[in-house]
Amino acid sequence: MAETINDERLVGQFNRGDTSAFDRIVERYAADVAALANRLLGWPGDVEDITQEVFLSAFLGLNRFRCDCTLRSWLFTITINKCRSYRHRRKLRRLKATTIPINEVGTRLSPSQKGQSLLEAETFMRVRKTVAKLPAKYREPVVLRYLQELPTDEIARILKVSRNTVHVRLSRARESLRQELTELIE
Amino acid sequence: MSDDRLTQLLRQADRTAGLPTRVRVDVSGIRRRANRRRVMQMVGPVATAAVLMIALGIWSITQRIPQMTPEQKQIASLEMQVRQLQARTDAAISLIQEVLEQERRQKRLDELEAELAGIPDPLDEMQEQVDKTAFILVYQADRLYRELNQTDSAVEAYNRVIRLFPKNQWAQVARERLEEIENKKSNQTDSKGDLKWKRQNV
Repeated sequence: MAETINDERLVGQFNRGDTSAFDRIVERYAADVAALANRLLGWPGDVEDITQEVFLSAFLGLNRFRCDCTLRSWLFTITINKCRSYRHRRKLRRLKATTIPINEVGTRLSPSQKGQSLLEAETFMRVRKTVAKLPAKYREPVVLRYLQELPTDEIARILKVSRNTVHVRLSRARESLRQELTELIE
Repeated sequence: MSDDRLTQLLRQADRTAGLPTRVRVDVSGIRRRANRRRVMQMVGPVATAAVLMIALGIWSITQRIPQMTPEQKQIASLEMQVRQLQARTDAAISLIQEVLEQERRQKRLDELEAELAGIPDPLDEMQEQVDKTAFILVYQADRLYRELNQTDSAVEAYNRVIRLFPKNQWAQVARERLEEIENKKSNQTDSKGDLKWKRQNV
């Protein structure tokens, strides 16, 4: 609640011309935005451009923010839209993007992976690939629910769909994941 | 159970992928880009308005009527009057030409009618020829009867006239002649009978 009040105060300061308030907003949410973008784009690791785009849009549109949802939800909505546009552009232009293509998802070894066994690394890479292959309308609720750990109401607000739709999409996404990862789950 | 396992698997997979590298947001860069966009957003309408103003100015300059001096106004008025007069004259000339053309046509029509009136009626001519022929036939029959004393030939000629021109006036004359011949013949027969009777009585 305190954070919400602070957010509102920061937004108010920004709208009154105090641009340093935006620095604090960036400090507070940059990591969350980057993590979400990283997950939505298939764990490419490098999501600096997308994060930059998200905060640019936020900077331009913050005077229209009405505090009827949390600032984090609003930033997540922007992030999801930017990620959709990014994937769409990448698909259309058929360029080799800075992000890793779906068939190379998770092939990089992160520092935490280096201590794992090869079998575990292989398993988790397969899970990430499966999530990345899901259609956007199923991948987004899965990321928000299981990885960002957001409640259903907030997911519905971010995706601008009803609660029931979120439940249906999550259910279908789980079914799809179960079919793909049967032997890992059972 | 499987839902928990799926959730656990997803979170482990996310954790093992690690956090995004180099999450550094260039706020000053964002401000610069935002300012540039704002400027561009302002420049667009301003440029459009400027172009519209220039176009409006050019249009008003091209449409403006220049101020005229009194002499120019008088000349313009006279020119206007001359143009009106010329238009009226043209209309009058056109009307006169039309009337003359009408008269010429009427005259030609009268001439043609006069020529037509001068041509004799072919029916009258034919009737005249018929009368003449009938007259000649009656005349020849009269000569046969009165001068040459050929009564039979004369009767035949009179009958021909009656047969050929039954309604003609000379057919009526021919009928009178035939009657006359008949009367004459009957008188001669009566006188011969009286003479014969006188001779027997003597």
